Parts: sequence; C-alpha cells; structure tokens
Amino acid sequence: MNLSFELKKRFYDNIQTYTIILAMLAVWILFTILTNGFYLSPQNFSNLFRQMTVTSFLATGMVLVIVTGNIDLSVGKLAGFVSVVVAYFQANVWNTIFPGQPIVAAALSVGIGLLVGALFGVLQGYIISYMRVPAFIVTLGGMFVLRGGILIITQGKTIPANQPGFDQIAQGYLSPAVGWVAALLVVALLFLNMVRSRARKAQYGFEVSNLYMDILGTLFFSALVIVYVVVVNFYNGVQVPVLLLAVTAVIMAYVSNNTRFGRYAYAIGGNREAARLSGINIKRNIFLVFVLMGFLCGVAGIVLASYVGYGTVAAGEGYELDAIAACILGGTSTLGGQGTIFGAMIGGLIMASLTNGLQMLNVPAAYQYVVKGAVLILAVFADVYFKKNR
Amino acid sequence: MADDIILDIRNVTKTFPGVVALSDVSIQIHHGKIHGLCGENGAGKSTLMKILSGVYPYGSYKGTIFYENRELKLEDRAIRQAIEEGIAIVYQELTLVPSMTVGENIFLGKEPVENGVINWDKLYADTRQILEKYKLDVPPNAVVKTLGVGKMQMVEIAKALSENARILILDEPTSALSESEIDKLMEILETLKEHGVTCIYITHKLEEFFRITDSVTILRDGKTVATNPTSELNHETLVRHMVGREMKERFPKNSRKPGEVIFKVENLVATDPNEPSRKVLDGVNFDLRQGEILGIAGLMGSGRTELVTTIFGEYGNIISGTITMDNKTLNIKSAHDAMLHGISLVPEDRKGQGLVLMQPILRNISLANLDRFAGFFRIDQDAELAAANQQGKNLSIKAANLQDRVDSLSGGNQQKVVIAKWLLTNPQILIMDDPTRGVDVGAKFEIYKLMNELAENGVSIIMISSELEEVIGMSDRIMVMHNGRSGGVLETQGVTQEKIMAIATGIEA
Ligand SMILES: Nc1ncnc2c1ncn2[C@@H]1O[C@H](COP(=O)(O)OP(=O)(O)OP(=O)(O)O)[C@@H](O)[C@H]1O
Ligand SMILES: [Mg+2]
Repeated sequence: MNLSFELKKRFYDNIQTYTIILAMLAVWILFTILTNGFYLSPQNFSNLFRQMTVTSFLATGMVLVIVTGNIDLSVGKLAGFVSVVVAYFQANVWNTIFPGQPIVAAALSVGIGLLVGALFGVLQGYIISYMRVPAFIVTLGGMFVLRGGILIITQGKTIPANQPGFDQIAQGYLSPAVGWVAALLVVALLFLNMVRSRARKAQYGFEVSNLYMDILGTLFFSALVIVYVVVVNFYNGVQVPVLLLAVTAVIMAYVSNNTRFGRYAYAIGGNREAARLSGINIKRNIFLVFVLMGFLCGVAGIVLASYVGYGTVAAGEGYELDAIAACILGGTSTLGGQGTIFGAMIGGLIMASLTNGLQMLNVPAAYQYVVKGAVLILAVFADVYFKKNR
Repeated sequence: MADDIILDIRNVTKTFPGVVALSDVSIQIHHGKIHGLCGENGAGKSTLMKILSGVYPYGSYKGTIFYENRELKLEDRAIRQAIEEGIAIVYQELTLVPSMTVGENIFLGKEPVENGVINWDKLYADTRQILEKYKLDVPPNAVVKTLGVGKMQMVEIAKALSENARILILDEPTSALSESEIDKLMEILETLKEHGVTCIYITHKLEEFFRITDSVTILRDGKTVATNPTSELNHETLVRHMVGREMKERFPKNSRKPGEVIFKVENLVATDPNEPSRKVLDGVNFDLRQGEILGIAGLMGSGRTELVTTIFGEYGNIISGTITMDNKTLNIKSAHDAMLHGISLVPEDRKGQGLVLMQPILRNISLANLDRFAGFFRIDQDAELAAANQQGKNLSIKAANLQDRVDSLSGGNQQKVVIAKWLLTNPQILIMDDPTRGVDVGAKFEIYKLMNELAENGVSIIMISSELEEVIGMSDRIMVMHNGRSGGVLETQGVTQEKIMAIATGIEA
C-alpha cells in the first residue's frame, strides 16, 4: 500500500482520537498563555499528571461498564470508602500488630484496599446481573450505603494515612536514572512489539503494513515517552502513581481488545441479542465487569489515601462524575458498544488539565464546575458535528 | 424528454471512503410502470434508491436526477422532502420501532392531531382502513416486536403506501415473505399500477421480475449494464448480465449418503414465553440423520422459527415432549448450552440477532468463535484474521477491508457475514433460519456448495426456507409445518411444490 493513502486512511479511521487530542492541546495552549507559560512548567506538568490519576483509575473500569450498556454511580464513594478503610488500618491496626514495619503495613493496606473494592464489586455485580436489578439503581443505592460506611468508619473525623512507605504510592518519584531505564525499556518494548507483529503478519501471509509507517508510528510514541521523562525529570522524576496508572491503562486496553472477556463486553453493549445467540454468557460477563470495576475502585482508593495523606468524610465525593465525564470525552458511547481506554485516559487528562488550570487562575470552585460542564457538552457536540460532516 | 418518463437518472456517481458504489449510472423510468432493478450483492441498488429517497441528499453524489421534468434536489430535510414529493420507499432493512404498535408506526411523524393532542381513535381507525384496503392481516394495535419478520414487512409496506406515493420504491420486499404473502403483494402492486403509481422493484428472486415488471435495469459493480423490456429477457440472460458469466444450475449436485439418526424431536409442545397460554408448538416430531440436510417448509407463523429457537434454548417454554441427541435427552436452557452440545443457529433476523452493526466485519465473524482463537487469556488476532479472511473468500463477501464496520456492507453481504460467523463454529448440527435471504444467485450457489460440503463431512443441517424451490433443491427430506404441528416428513425424491403447499395450508395432513 502506498504511504500517503495509508496515512489518510489511518487518519480517517481515528478521527475521533485526533479530535480529542487536539482538544487537549487547545486546553494546554490556552492555559499556558493565560498563566504566562507557568502552566507547562515541569513542576505544574508533573502535578497535572499526578492529579489525573485517581479518577483515571476509575475511568479505566468505567469504560467497560458503559460499553456494556450499564453505569456505575458508586465508584467515587467506593474509592472514598476504600481510602478511609485503608487509612483506618494504617493508623490503628497495623502498628499494633507489626510495630515498626512500614513496608509490611503498606503492603497489607494495599491488600485490604483491593479486597474491599473487589468484594463490593462482587456484591453489586451479583445484584445487577443475577438478580436483575438495573445498574443505575443498584449503584445509586450503593452510593448511599458507602456514604454511610464512610461516616461509620471515620466517626466524622479525619484519619491520618501519611505513614512512611505508604505515602510513596501516590507521592513517590522514581529517581531520574531509574526513570530513564524505564523509558528505554518502554521504547525497546514498543519496537520489539512492532517487529514481532510484522513477523506474525508475514507468517500468516497478510499484507504487511508499510514499514516506514510502522517505524514512524513507533518513533512517535517513543518520542512522547522520552519527552515526558525529560520534562518530569526536571522536577522530581517519574511519578509513581502515574506509572501505576500507565501500567493499569495498558493492561485494561489489552484486556478490552485481546481477551474474550473484553470482546464480549463490547458485543453485549453493541447488540445484546446477537451476543446472547452467539453463546455468550451475558450474566457472568456483566458480573465480572462490575467485579473488575470494584477492584479498580480499590486501586483508586489506595492511591487516594496515599495522595491526600488521610481518610476524610468527603473522600471521593463527585469522582464518579469526573470518571464518567472522562469516558464520554474520550468517545465512549452512552448507548454502549463503543469506547476505548486510551480515549478515556485523554478525557481524564483533559478534566485534570481544566481543574488544574482553573485553580491556577484562581477561578472560584463554583465557576470551575460551570466551565467543566460546558466543556463536556461542547466536546460531545463537536464530535457529533464532525461525524456528521465527514 | 418524453412525457411519459417520470424519473430520469443521469450519470449518477456516488462514492464512500474507499468504495465507488455507483459510477455514472443512468436510468429512465416510465410513468405508471413497474421497473425492476437487478444486480449482485453490493452492485449499488440500495445506494441508488437511498439517493432517490433523500438518505444521501443532493450534493453528496454527482450527476442529476429529473423528476416529473424538474430537477430533483433533496436538500435540507431531504427525507421528509422526498416523501412530500411523493417518493415513498420500503427499505431493505426494517425501519419500524419495535416497541410501538402497528398504528403508531404507520403514522409515525404524521400523527393525526387535534388541538395539539394526538387523536388516537382516528389514528387506529385510519390504520385499520389502510390494512383492510390492502388485505393485510395484522391487528392495528399489536406491538410490532411481537410480529414475525414477514408481518413486519407488510406493515412496512403499508406505511409507505399511506403516503399517497407517486413513486413507490421496494427494496427486496419479498426476501422475508412466504409464497402466499408474495402473491398478496403482487396483487397490491397490480392495483397500484392501475392507479397510476410508478414502482421501482428490487429483488434477488429473479422469477418475480418476470411476474411483475415491465422492464429491468441490471447493475454490475455500480455500473448500468443494460436496460431491457422484461419481455426480451429470460432467466439465463438476466443471470449472465448480473454475474458476468453463464450459470447452468441453481443447485449444486451432491452425492451424499446420510448416516444414522443422531437427533430426534418427539411430541414437542411449547408455549410463547411472553404469553404462556398460547401454544406455539403443538406436537412436533422429526428426526435428523448424520450428514443430512433436512428442509423445513411452512407458511409464515406456522412455527418454523419458533421450533428452531426453542431447540436452541432461546424461546419457547417446553411443556412436554423430548429432544434427544446421540440417544441422550437434552435439556438446553440457552444458546450457550446449545453450542456446548455442538448445535449452532443462523438466526432469522440479521440486524436484530445476527450482527453487532457498529463493529468491524472481522469481529462479527469471530464473535461466536473466540474460544478457538483464545488461549487462557489472549486472543490470537492473526489466527482470527486468517480464519475470517478465509470465510470472506469462501462466501465472496464484497468488502474493501474486514476492519470496516459491518453496517457499511450491502444487505446481502451482511447476510453472508452472519453465515460466515456460524459456519466457523464447527457445529455437529447446523440450524439455518432462512440463510440465503437477500443473497444474490451467484453467492447462493456458493453457500449451497458449502452446505453440501459440510453435510458430506458428516454435519447435519436443518434449513428453514420460504423458497420452496430452495427447500426442494437442497434437502434430503422435507418437514412441512402447519399451525405449530409437523405435518409429516417427506422424502424429497418426487415431491412437488403443490404437495408441500397442500400440507402447509392444512388442505392435506
Ligand atoms: N455507508 C456505507 N459506507 C461505506 N460503504 C458503503 C455504505 N453503504 C454502501 N456501501 C458500499 O456500496 C456498495 C453498494 O452497496 P448497496 O447497498 O447499494 O448494494 P446492493 O446492490 O443494494 O446490494 P444487496 O443486494 O446486497 O442489497 C457496496 O460495496 C457497499 O459495501
Ligand atoms: Mg441492497
């Protein structure tokens, strides 16, 4: 195939992705101008990515929930609940059982957090798929239950969770050297993957896509990774929570495309009847989607506790809305069947970029909400508009 | 321009990204005549009709169209505008709202309003009138999704006719109809013709051209090959123009010898799951041998689809009777169960049950087969693509790329995707509910060959078809259904269409 044709085709195939990336760049440029360049300083850049992590963990799971034609309103409160549970164990339990062992305590906290999240996912998922109560209602109820749960555990007070070791999860940085090693590893993997996929295609006798095109693409992503590491190394280095998020997002993207579980989720949301007649066990699949969502709430809750350093009554308030907004911005269809993890991550980054920029400009919280809401609607309108006028 | 030309299509070209659907097409259509449009799957027939009905508005294609001696420019509210111009269309794919009643559907967008409120009495009275006028046996207040595909098709036609059309476009209206319903439609068309309505008629059942049309235009790969008065055409010339080569037989020969009985249904009685007092199956008996093709004939509503979906665990509540396979009683509760037993079903409704329209062709073909491409975790996407490619080739699916969305394919090619998907499941028993609906003659032949091949390799096939010729041409034995009962299983040797119809209509048992 010739190069320019392939470029064009790739462009049209991914027009939605490019629209949203352009939107993100527009937001960045605007704030950079408004803040006299400080917005994109290494320090703020580094913080910006850290700020997106908690809700973006939620968004990675939310994509699949929405893709199957469901919704989960409880994710913010579940992450909040996990964060106070973890804080409670950090502050009151581990130091009495394992005094002076911060790493053990941190590891156990992670375990507890993941377990609580997943168990709540099991419960909600079971009620939704096997007892056939609509997800909207179950998770709305779940949200109330968790709000109560948070009050019960905190007793209305703030619980510290800033113990050494545990605080590294969301506040740690890789040293510049380690950051470089990680970056080079990623680049090497990108190239290895390219070569292997080409070899496999050739082995099956498929038309292998243009070599320069593939190299160009891989170089582009490698450059992104390297530029990112260069910039954050000017500040403290690669942020641990961002690294965790990146790994989670890659795994989730892989799961959604390359496993039966992921494929079935898309088929169920796209045409439930066709999926059922294809022999797909719909109940089990939706159940598992909610279990996974709960597990990811566990991850988000742990990062949240470590990020703010304590568990509070208001933990996770409104995060479900940010997570849903991130998915929608990233092109997930509210009707189900369509949506990508990558898109949702960009959507999450846009939401974080807005919050960060508006805070920097000292815009009052009230107006921040107004702006975010307007941007969400505008972005979806732009998408609808471009699709129609293609 | 001659006065009696109502529609003059000149040099129309329409492209989609990567596909030229129509290239320099010119057709003249005479007033008050029935004009046939014929061509292989993907030839561009539906695309041309969608230009006439405003789906692809003025400016999205090249060329000009004259309608009643004026240039037709359907622009802003193109679809509404076309209806107001008197151009009505029955689309190839059903466009009814399943959750609404027949009346609501027919009057959708033009409900009779009184003081800003819908006058329901008038709506249903008018609906009844339309249905009676065309002798359509459908209750006006039935919810559409409870009707079979055949009835839905009749509602669709009634909806188009309620518009006082000057031109009526019918895109494969008979693909889901049984013989008697086709007869009824033909009568309606004759009546309309007497009233001066012009009709453009698309079908893959070629005999219908000879039955009803005055002239036929043949399209191939988006180009007009020929326009002829029907009287100057015959089956052979039509096929030759269409596929570009000679086709001697409609059905491939076979030399298979069915083996032992492997599957048996005895005294099966089942009720409608939504209406438990209504029996949909009322004593069905048949057996199926290994490597056999068993045809199921019967009128619309005779329980054919209900039978196979019940066997597949997806429909009726079984009251009594047994289903056995390899001498073991089956208790199938879902499609999943059925597939574990090696039973696959090509469903009747490709859009509603067969395809995930928003997904690529590739993913649709592999959806029911991911187990064979997946290890514990990972799907081997290259193996998946290779298998889909092979199926695409076997069934000559006309697609630029298997990564394209399946709804960018023509109707017949979508149907081939559904068949490809189910052929890939490697079943022991393959049930096919009207598998060749909307598929062109050439591709049908390929599908028949694949079916014969499967049967020769020991797969047993149950095929439902509304086309008697197809049932007779392909089956080893034929079961005729009537009112939820099996009216006996006939050896295909020596059977006639008349004999089958007699059983199907209950004249003979
Ligand atoms: N929305 C679309 N996007 C891209 N390609 C399309 C689209 N609609 C139709 N095509 C392509 O245009 C060509 C003509 O399609 P069309 O539906 O007109 O065929 P047809 O003659 O009606 O075939 P059939 O007998 O199968 O109904 C096909 O190659 C099809 O893939
Ligand atoms: Mg068509």
